[in-house]
Amino acid sequence: MPNCLVCYKWTLDERDIKINPSDLSLDSSRAKGKISDFDRMAIEEATLIVEKHGGAVEALSYGTAAVKQSLKDTLSRGPGKAYWIADASAENADAVVTTNVLAAAIKKLGSYDLILCGEGSSDAFNQQTAPRIAALLGLPCLSFVNKLSITEDVVSVTRKLPDRTEEVSVRGPVVVSVLSEINKPRIPSLKQVLGAAKKPNQEIKIADLGLKPEDLQPKTVRRSVKGFVMQRKNVIYKETNLADNVAKLKESLAAEGLC
Amino acid sequence: MNFKLTEEQQLIQQSAREFAKEYLEPLVAKMDETREFPREVIKPLADHDFLGLHLSAESGGVEAGCVTYITVIEAISRSCGSVASIMNNHAMASYAIQRWGSEAVKKQCLPAMVKGEVLGAFAIYEHGPTPGIGPMAVVATKTDAGYVLKGAKAYVRNAGKAGVYVVTAVTEADRPKTAVAFVVDAQTAGVKVGERIATMGLRGCPVAHVVFDNVVVPQGALLGGRGTEIVNRTLALGALAEAAQTVGIGQAAIDHAAAYAKQRVQFGMPVFNFPAVQALLSDSNIDCHVARLALYHAAQLVDDGEPFEVESAMVKSFLARLGSKLLVDSCQVEGGMGFVENMPLPRLFRDIAGTTLLDAPADTPERAIAMSIA
Repeated sequence: MPNCLVCYKWTLDERDIKINPSDLSLDSSRAKGKISDFDRMAIEEATLIVEKHGGAVEALSYGTAAVKQSLKDTLSRGPGKAYWIADASAENADAVVTTNVLAAAIKKLGSYDLILCGEGSSDAFNQQTAPRIAALLGLPCLSFVNKLSITEDVVSVTRKLPDRTEEVSVRGPVVVSVLSEINKPRIPSLKQVLGAAKKPNQEIKIADLGLKPEDLQPKTVRRSVKGFVMQRKNVIYKETNLADNVAKLKESLAAEGLC
Repeated sequence: MNFKLTEEQQLIQQSAREFAKEYLEPLVAKMDETREFPREVIKPLADHDFLGLHLSAESGGVEAGCVTYITVIEAISRSCGSVASIMNNHAMASYAIQRWGSEAVKKQCLPAMVKGEVLGAFAIYEHGPTPGIGPMAVVATKTDAGYVLKGAKAYVRNAGKAGVYVVTAVTEADRPKTAVAFVVDAQTAGVKVGERIATMGLRGCPVAHVVFDNVVVPQGALLGGRGTEIVNRTLALGALAEAAQTVGIGQAAIDHAAAYAKQRVQFGMPVFNFPAVQALLSDSNIDCHVARLALYHAAQLVDDGEPFEVESAMVKSFLARLGSKLLVDSCQVEGGMGFVENMPLPRLFRDIAGTTLLDAPADTPERAIAMSIA
């Protein structure tokens, strides 16, 4: 019966973020929070595993004070307990800081057979959380996973790589990062939503993790974030003959190196 | 005073939107075209607890309250007004059974209604002048074993698909004050569902007249309250849900029009940038926002156990005037595309008419509001 932990990120819902057309700056003042998309798949996968094999699922997140808003949403999706680390350092944390904190928290919490993450977060999509946590904990890492099964203590996965797929088996414990196609996250029922309030959650103070100040110092600095606006060219081909229009389209695409 | 939904309500709203996108949006255009009853969504609705929202935990419900119920109906209506209508009529019937039914009737009906095994219908209208509370043609004659119902109910939603009808009747012909209500199993001999009525909108929700031809019901089928109380209170709650449908459909129209305006280029720029288009969209959004605030306030009164009938009437009356305007303005934003039948707006136009016309005879809300002043 696997003991699973899911690391998830509470991000802003990109659908609520507006791009200022004058300078392409982002306005997230009215953006709501959400569980990062791929992390929802990680939560669902862990829940499916436990529903099939027994065991337990817990969830862990590191973020700003807003991370507390994620707890009921997370717990309504299956995990039996949620741990949360709310600290101002998360505001500018890069993958190094994030994984230093998460790995230290996991060491403090105990041992897990399976640690699941989303392949990348909805906002930064650095794809570094799972590999870095694995490295810090000295565990194997399986990334780009779109299929996962467990037999006793062996975790077997399909890794979907750009040019091939790989079938890999690892004797646990292991850190796995999942792709979006691995499952379709459940829509929590009302009873699951209302039941989430009764599940336990626990704050972990960053000061209790034994981290050094430099562990919380980002190695990368984000200098600016700008929205991307697709510029339409609005080219209209007005030849009467369809074939001539297609030929002109092909010519234009070729001129831009697109075919 | 707090205008914010609770965390649970926000999550339930999120679940309802996700449910609507996954289960309803793929069906809605075809449902509108074929008028087919969406049987396949009933079980998923039940599995997500949407059919027992306000019912007691003892019956398998979640006791989520009126604000939560309104939130769900609005979220579902943004994708499919028909399913919201099916849910609302089911909820009115189950609400009446829970509130006024005997323990035996509750035990018999409600768990199956929560699971979606049995749908409910609230059959109160007749061809007479006043819905449900005036003279009634359905007469219940007392017998040694119970009652015999004779007469017909008109425009019954969920007709033919419902397993349980909550039916109003008078025990003495021509005496409205003797009105009572019964729970009638659809399989009972003498319950005859008429030909389905082709409605302008909300086409997935079946509507028909139902004849009660000497239908024998046991004494236990009689609900415990007076007929007028059952009708007025249940309709007031139903009116809130219908207002939530109007708001949801109206918001869907505004969102569609805004998205269309952003990608429709005229004179070298999206029409969204034109002041006239922005005025139409912003006016619609203001109206929708104000209506939503009034609606949620009325729903909160229900949850607080305070009188809400006047506020419910105000919301219904306000939206009766507003609903079609939201759609006219949204269609105006889309121009010719807003007039194309297979685009969403014509369906929303027809659906919103159903939510503002039905259960809202011209004078009923105004009378309740006027009587409350001074």
